[in-house]
Amino acid sequence: MRGLLLLSVLLGAVLGKEDFVGHQVLRISAVDEAQVQKVKELEDLEHLKLDFWRGPGRPGSPIDVRVPLPSSQAVKVFLEAHGIGYTVMIEDVQSLLDEEQEQMFAFQAWARSTDTFNYATYHTLEEIYGFLDLLVAEHPQLVSKLQIGNSYEGRPIYVLKFSTGGSKRPAIWIDTGIHSREWVTQASGVWFAKKITQDYGQDSTLTAILDSMDIFLEIVTNPDGFAFTHSKNRMWRKTRSLTPGSACVGVDPNRNWDAGFGLVGASSNPCSETYHGKFANSEVEVKSIVDFVKSHGNIKAFISIHSYSQLLLYPYGYKAEAAPDQQELDQLAKSAVTALASLYGTKFKYGSIIKTIYQASGSTVDWTYSQGIKYSFTFELRDTGRYGFLLPASQIIPTAQETWLALRTIMEHTLNHPY
Amino acid sequence: MPPAASTPPAPRPGVPRPAALLLALALSLAVPGLRAAGPGPGPGSPGVPGAPPPGLLRQAARAALHFLNFRAGSPSGLRVLAAVLRGRAAVDARRTCRVDLEFTAERYGPEVADGRLGRCSARVVFRHQKPRPAVNVTCTRFMETSRRRREDFLLYKRAKRLRAPLGATSIPDSHGWIDPSLRPIWDLALLGSSYVMWERTTQTLQYYMAQLSSVNQWKTNEDAIDFDYTVLLHEFSTQEIIPCRIHLVWYPGKPLKVKYHCQELHTAQEGSGTEEGSAVAPTQPNNF
Repeated sequence: MRGLLLLSVLLGAVLGKEDFVGHQVLRISAVDEAQVQKVKELEDLEHLKLDFWRGPGRPGSPIDVRVPLPSSQAVKVFLEAHGIGYTVMIEDVQSLLDEEQEQMFAFQAWARSTDTFNYATYHTLEEIYGFLDLLVAEHPQLVSKLQIGNSYEGRPIYVLKFSTGGSKRPAIWIDTGIHSREWVTQASGVWFAKKITQDYGQDSTLTAILDSMDIFLEIVTNPDGFAFTHSKNRMWRKTRSLTPGSACVGVDPNRNWDAGFGLVGASSNPCSETYHGKFANSEVEVKSIVDFVKSHGNIKAFISIHSYSQLLLYPYGYKAEAAPDQQELDQLAKSAVTALASLYGTKFKYGSIIKTIYQASGSTVDWTYSQGIKYSFTFELRDTGRYGFLLPASQIIPTAQETWLALRTIMEHTLNHPY
Repeated sequence: MPPAASTPPAPRPGVPRPAALLLALALSLAVPGLRAAGPGPGPGSPGVPGAPPPGLLRQAARAALHFLNFRAGSPSGLRVLAAVLRGRAAVDARRTCRVDLEFTAERYGPEVADGRLGRCSARVVFRHQKPRPAVNVTCTRFMETSRRRREDFLLYKRAKRLRAPLGATSIPDSHGWIDPSLRPIWDLALLGSSYVMWERTTQTLQYYMAQLSSVNQWKTNEDAIDFDYTVLLHEFSTQEIIPCRIHLVWYPGKPLKVKYHCQELHTAQEGSGTEEGSAVAPTQPNNF
């Protein structure tokens, strides 16, 4: 009740630009009809500018009145002179308003539902983790949250599972944010999660996919790094693990997989951005996925999302030899980038990692491919260097929308080509 | 660097891509005495002997554009690579790699390009894995000279009135936002960085300007803009973020004066250079 009253006062303040410094709210107890009448006399004194929140009524019923500072003494003297009891309910209306306003704005940062969540801005780890819970709560039949491990610094690592039933159905894996500074990827992952819940039952392709397959989505694959990009260094790429014997922190999680580990295409210097780590899977963020993939045993497509450069890549990164499925992967990549470009004309190049970008060893999709996951792809999203990692937030949704078309193409192909 | 095979491998099934055919044609016209080869990591395109890896042509194009941007000295006329059209590369006995190429470029500008492309042709010579490629480049205009001069002068006037935020800064900020009033600073920072990025580009290393991290000095009281700042360059393929302190002096229409010093994070060498616009002077070490 008081909140509503305060709200109306606040609105009045905003519209009328009034100021309530020193205003008090008194609660008056009129014990009999005579006292009630006296208080009514006060009401008639317009020059006092009293604002009755709860006007005089029956005896015994509390009367609440906002008293401007200039009238404060006069009112109190009047009440005391007539033996009418009162208490000060609110010492200073303005400071209470200030407090409420702060709280209101604080609440605005926290969405109440995934429909009010702001997809066109970058979020903190807490906000994204909050989003995961909101989504699961809104779609308990379709979405569940799994914890696949804990990061080096002890943060939970979550994966969303989208499933319409079955048991260990063939599955598609998508991860974003393995390199923490690539913010458009985590932001896109959030958008993808919402998109899946919106499109199931609406989009025939996605519905067909989810009717036979599961989708796993890991949005913040490197939570320690991500937290660090918010708190200390926006350009942080690696994990935050400590390396004994070195002052430098972190391992490149996209050089830490057990495929060509340590070969040309990664650095053995702990201070380097492409440091591969002391051994394959040394990073818990990587090991958690490895364990998950192995124990699941039925993942059919694995897509790891990075930025920037606008590329769609398939194995290998660590060697020049063509992958056995090179032709099919190349064709599928071509279809996927064509679908992507259809929306805003964004041009992606495609090809094997080593031929298209550079030699890289110990990379994610080289390992997943070696595990028999044929449709293993890496994306590098917008842009091509104008803004790089600092992609304006206004481009989040267009990026996610176009990328989704490519993902859908790959997922549909996976559905239609079981192996 | 391993020499290219002298006999071509067996042709692959399927139709070779048109670009590969062009390259093959171009390579067959290579000057005698030079072996056509594909320097850099990885072999050439499938099916074509010794063709340069696609990355090398883009590498050369970017080096050419950095050089062009620096020499033009025009913050309104900055260009970025649109697409490589064709090119060929040749490596001599001293492992010097000469790249001849044609490509399209578009205006840097804010946000989405207006679609207008300029056409460029360039010769870029990389000394074996050494920076500072020799560049000879010409591009068609994508903007009338008078208009570009006008825009430079407008930028100059805005810059003169601007009170730059001195000290540590983040432009763009973490969310990719650049305050429109600070645009002249960004454009000038990129102009100066072009010189640095040109000098540092090799066959395998390329750069993008990631962020302006500090404005050390912004003097506009005299005719020229005297700008001392630090940028973070993003280096491919190492993925390193390299802080470079740059000091430039700019006046519209005059050659850009620039000197710089980059922090080399985990190697012993430090890289620095100085340049005055007109003639290509030898690099002199310069320390702040």
